[in-house]
Amino acid sequence: MKLMKLAATSLLCTSLMVGSAFAAAIEKPECIAPAKPGGGFDLTCRVAMLGLKDQLPSLMQVTFMPGGIGAVAINMFNSTRTDDPNAIVAFSSGSLLNIATGKYGQWTENDVRWLASAGADFGAVIVKGDSKFKTLDDLMNQLKTAENSVVIGAGGSVGSQDWMKAALLVKSVEKDPKKMRYVAYDGGGDAIAGLLGGSIEAYMGDVGEMASHLDGSMKILAVMSPERLPAPFDQFPTTKELGYDAEWTIMRGYYMGKNVSDEAYNAWVDAFKAAYATEEFATIQKEKGLMKLNMAGAEFDADVKKRVERMRGIAKEAGLIK
Amino acid sequence: MADRIFGCIALAIALGYGFIAFTIIEAPFQYDPLGPETWPQILSVFACLCCLYIIVLPDGTRLKVLGSTLMRIAILLILLSAYAYLFEPIGFILSTTLFCLVLSRILGATALQAVVFGVASGTFGYLLCAVILDLNLPEGFILKLLRGLS
Amino acid sequence: MNEVLAGLYTGFGVALAPMNLLYVIVGCFSGTLIGALPGIGPINGVAILLPIAYSLGLPPESALILLAGIYYGAEYGGRISSILLNVPGDAGAVFTTLDGNPMAKNGEAGRALSLSAVASFVGGTFAVILMSLFGPMLASVAIHFNPSDYVALMVFAFTCLASLVGKNPVKTLLAALMGLMIASIGIDANTGVARFTFGVPDILAGIDFLVIVIGLFGMGELITLVEHQITGKLKVLPVGKSFVSLKDLAVVKWVVFRCSMLGFFIGVLPGTGASVASAVAYGTEKRIAGKSGENFGKGDIRGLAAPEAANNASAGGAMVPMLTLGIPGSGTTAILLGALLLFNITPGPLMFQQRPEIAWGLIASMYIGNLALLVINLPLVGFFARLLTIPQKYLTPLIAVLAFIGVYSVVSNPFDLYMIIGLGLFGWLLKKMGFSLAPVILGVVLGNLFEDNLRRALSISGGDWKVLVESSSSIIIYVLTVLILFVPPLYGRIKKSRMEKKTAE
Repeated sequence: MKLMKLAATSLLCTSLMVGSAFAAAIEKPECIAPAKPGGGFDLTCRVAMLGLKDQLPSLMQVTFMPGGIGAVAINMFNSTRTDDPNAIVAFSSGSLLNIATGKYGQWTENDVRWLASAGADFGAVIVKGDSKFKTLDDLMNQLKTAENSVVIGAGGSVGSQDWMKAALLVKSVEKDPKKMRYVAYDGGGDAIAGLLGGSIEAYMGDVGEMASHLDGSMKILAVMSPERLPAPFDQFPTTKELGYDAEWTIMRGYYMGKNVSDEAYNAWVDAFKAAYATEEFATIQKEKGLMKLNMAGAEFDADVKKRVERMRGIAKEAGLIK
Repeated sequence: MADRIFGCIALAIALGYGFIAFTIIEAPFQYDPLGPETWPQILSVFACLCCLYIIVLPDGTRLKVLGSTLMRIAILLILLSAYAYLFEPIGFILSTTLFCLVLSRILGATALQAVVFGVASGTFGYLLCAVILDLNLPEGFILKLLRGLS
Repeated sequence: MNEVLAGLYTGFGVALAPMNLLYVIVGCFSGTLIGALPGIGPINGVAILLPIAYSLGLPPESALILLAGIYYGAEYGGRISSILLNVPGDAGAVFTTLDGNPMAKNGEAGRALSLSAVASFVGGTFAVILMSLFGPMLASVAIHFNPSDYVALMVFAFTCLASLVGKNPVKTLLAALMGLMIASIGIDANTGVARFTFGVPDILAGIDFLVIVIGLFGMGELITLVEHQITGKLKVLPVGKSFVSLKDLAVVKWVVFRCSMLGFFIGVLPGTGASVASAVAYGTEKRIAGKSGENFGKGDIRGLAAPEAANNASAGGAMVPMLTLGIPGSGTTAILLGALLLFNITPGPLMFQQRPEIAWGLIASMYIGNLALLVINLPLVGFFARLLTIPQKYLTPLIAVLAFIGVYSVVSNPFDLYMIIGLGLFGWLLKKMGFSLAPVILGVVLGNLFEDNLRRALSISGGDWKVLVESSSSIIIYVLTVLILFVPPLYGRIKKSRMEKKTAE
């Protein structure tokens, strides 16, 4: 309701400038998940959809814009929908990695407006419930004998953050990531099917997506977080405490087009800030396997830019960029 | 003859496709045995062979299109492109009205019929799709203006 | 088994409440309406109507039932434009146009519409029954389908292509290659390298399948219409009061049965959905029909029933890995995910334990949605068929408008509008040159699946090609491929020689 008022006020103020008069109103909120359904972007959008239920005039629609690991969305929001006040786009640190490695072509972290965070997630090393690898050490000892002795799979292409997780793991035992046997699936769902079906032996997934899979069919060998996570994930050791320097934090959040009016941007920021304050939002984050990481507006924008800079360093180290 | 010409154009495209596949596509480092280039390479080779076959042994298909027909189709394509071009800037209602008006007139409707049909498809189409079914259609400046005033 | 029956009992108890029945009817009707727009199939249809359904503030089970109605309605709505206008309503309906539209042009629009409703109903119901009985078991089989097996499946599908051959086999092959080449445009899923995009951002993700379908078929049809109008070839279509007869059903009963099975199993496999299922079903049936299959593509009721049954059965099949393993794979499951998550239910293996009333209510609503489709749409067949009596001077512009609405409202990218115009011209030219569009579509549908799985298989084996023939499922599929290739012609020859013997006697 507040938003409606806000929209109405700004509408009055700018009623002469017809073009932007409606930019302020979030009429048909839409969250774009730049992937096929079921993956992390989907999850990110669901958090916004459920979390902002009471802050927006109508229920947010989730649309999918698959392919190109998010490149299509960022391109669209830099070409045709640069000022769309209704749409927010889900991104993750994987998207930031793509920016850092130049995957998005000319678009950099300065070409969109970073809006707000949905929460944080962490990488996880996952095997099938009855795998011969009982602990992370088993897996790493095997990898030490030869990089290509374990078939590792994940939902992203070479150079994606899923690949990075595997690469960091291989690197932590002084082995060459370029030599590992890595199978790229089209999204986490297909990769999980591959793991359960025995096509791949280890899956570099995310903690969050495992929330609905804790039934024993799959086992998390380690989580790639800096410290132990809250329940129900507190039982899993971190890579760090097991002695492997492979940490991967996945930040999830949303961006908007570069030319979105300040009214619309601020309306969204306010909506997120209002949602962060509710108990409900925390519950949703928890349900979706996300850890609390609430930031919106200018503060968030600065944080994201800092992260991209850091990733450029990591990518250089891994040999992804020269 | 027509299929020979078609074969030649298709061959040129297939060669261009193959050229890109063999020279330009390249992964930063090879990790899967085939890489991104092998599949397009295979496709281009087969496509070139098929085109050559059609050029050498055409089956005698003729492009039976009269000049006047071609003219009409060209007009249709221009109309469609104009419709696409105007779709977002002037909005669904106006662009659809204009498009339906002109095309139905060309296809033999009287002037009155064309105007009625154009206006009806624009407004009813918008009412049905955007208002009732809540589809995402461009509203264009007229509606924006109207709403701005209200 | 008792568990299943008890579950279904609970589910139907929920779904059969009078208000819920009303919702399913309302859903089915509005779904049909929105699905009739080319390009807006069940997936987008439900995505669009979901927020409205939610804002009504219904309890979860009622909302799910409404959703099932919308889903099946939209599924059926897509058939209307496919059959009447030769413009596929959604990706899974491409193969419906091949025989459905010729039937309509022969004045049998009513027969085609009613037959497709019956085939859809049988395929859909069949799938839901299989799903409720054998779901968990099937899912565990399906995930053992590894990349090499997918490669085998693709080989099988392309062999079926041999049955789509027109007059000139080389042209068929070239058409399929064109489809494969179109599919290779965009970012490579394995290495993230952009291919054939020429720096155009809009095709970085590849050309959307929907855009290809609406362009090649819908816009191509539009150009053909205008051409015929000018050359005076266009007759006013006769609209007889035709309807599906018991004799028709007797002819297609085995076709529907086979294709429902086939569609269901293809649907269960993660990553393959309605478009693959209908393509494979159509090709297989044409092969099986052998000599009598010559009429496929000219309005053969078997050619209409096959993709329809497979398509709806695959939608049911896709629910299996989703509900039992929590693996979303196809577009259908996206709908479910969206709806379930709204009510804070995470689909997956734990759902049946945690929220049995929702899980079973959903399954029951699928039974009812299927039935509603039949009950609501059969009486309307005559009404829809009358659409064809709209004079061509109005119908032709309307086709363009519908195609524009369908393409634009989904992604809102004006670039796609130019794409469909260009593809329409391309499709028209191909038809003019004696190419068939079906192999092009088959190439587009299967291209990425084929390449990605081939590369995955070789990554897993470390470059050893033997991996392609190592699993038993691959071998079974290859055997089937050989059978489908050689048995129908052989059978035809034996039959012929027997006939000759008989006449000689």
